[in-house]
Amino acid sequence: MANSLSAECTPLKEKYDTCFNAWFEGYLEPAVAASSSERAAYSKQKADEFEAKCGKVWQQYRECIQRAVKEKGLDKLLQQAREENPLKEPPPPPVVQTFKKTS
Amino acid sequence: MHFFSQAFDYEHPWSHVVIGMWHKYPNSKCTHVVSVDVLDRSVDPKTGIIRTERVLGCKQKAPLWIVKLFGGSEDAFVREISFVDPASQNTTITSVNLSLSQFATCFEQIRYSPISPHRTSFSQTAEIQARMALWRSAADSLEKWLVQRFEQNAQLGKLGFTDVLRTLWEERHRVPAS
Repeated sequence: MANSLSAECTPLKEKYDTCFNAWFEGYLEPAVAASSSERAAYSKQKADEFEAKCGKVWQQYRECIQRAVKEKGLDKLLQQAREENPLKEPPPPPVVQTFKKTS
Repeated sequence: MHFFSQAFDYEHPWSHVVIGMWHKYPNSKCTHVVSVDVLDRSVDPKTGIIRTERVLGCKQKAPLWIVKLFGGSEDAFVREISFVDPASQNTTITSVNLSLSQFATCFEQIRYSPISPHRTSFSQTAEIQARMALWRSAADSLEKWLVQRFEQNAQLGKLGFTDVLRTLWEERHRVPAS
């Protein structure tokens, strides 16, 4: 597992990554297989499960990494990057595919 | 602006590639990535789309002229946003440099999508762009400074030559008179 940018946060990061990966590996294949009518219920159930399983370690890791990001002076650069590219939605498919769909 | 792109297939199902994505680093072939941190992650309770914001720390020796000109260091950081959409089976990863971002941006997009139950396509594009507004404003200040210096020198040149002419001809006129 990759280190955190701050040695102090690495143990918490490892715990969090382990928790996420275990959850994600159970999540993905049923999520792909879910029909559109099942999707919302499954997504809600798994989102709640993720919060219940990993929420606590996430809070601890997040506190640590936010402090480290500030100490490295990355908070301002991140703020600027978020303003320029919020990226709140998945980017649209490549132009070539869009052409195919519309023509 | 400069572009880079490549595309190829992995001989693995899409789900395996996407699970593997979180295990990519540390990697003995990509030793320039030295740290990976999650800054934000959400699971959309309606669509099931997972959005993750990470910051990757890289160590890469920059050419000396870049370090001198821009004051870069060996540590560089990249912000990465990924979306895993199980419904459309699309994974997109967008990355932008944080370090030296006041001078130039490298905007990278990666997409993983299934082409068969056992094959996944990978496509990557990158746009590298120097911040022209910055160069323009720097060039503009440089030009202003140069024109001011030119005006000052031109003024001094006029005064200086006026003195030379006066002195020279005053002396010459004095000589035959004596």
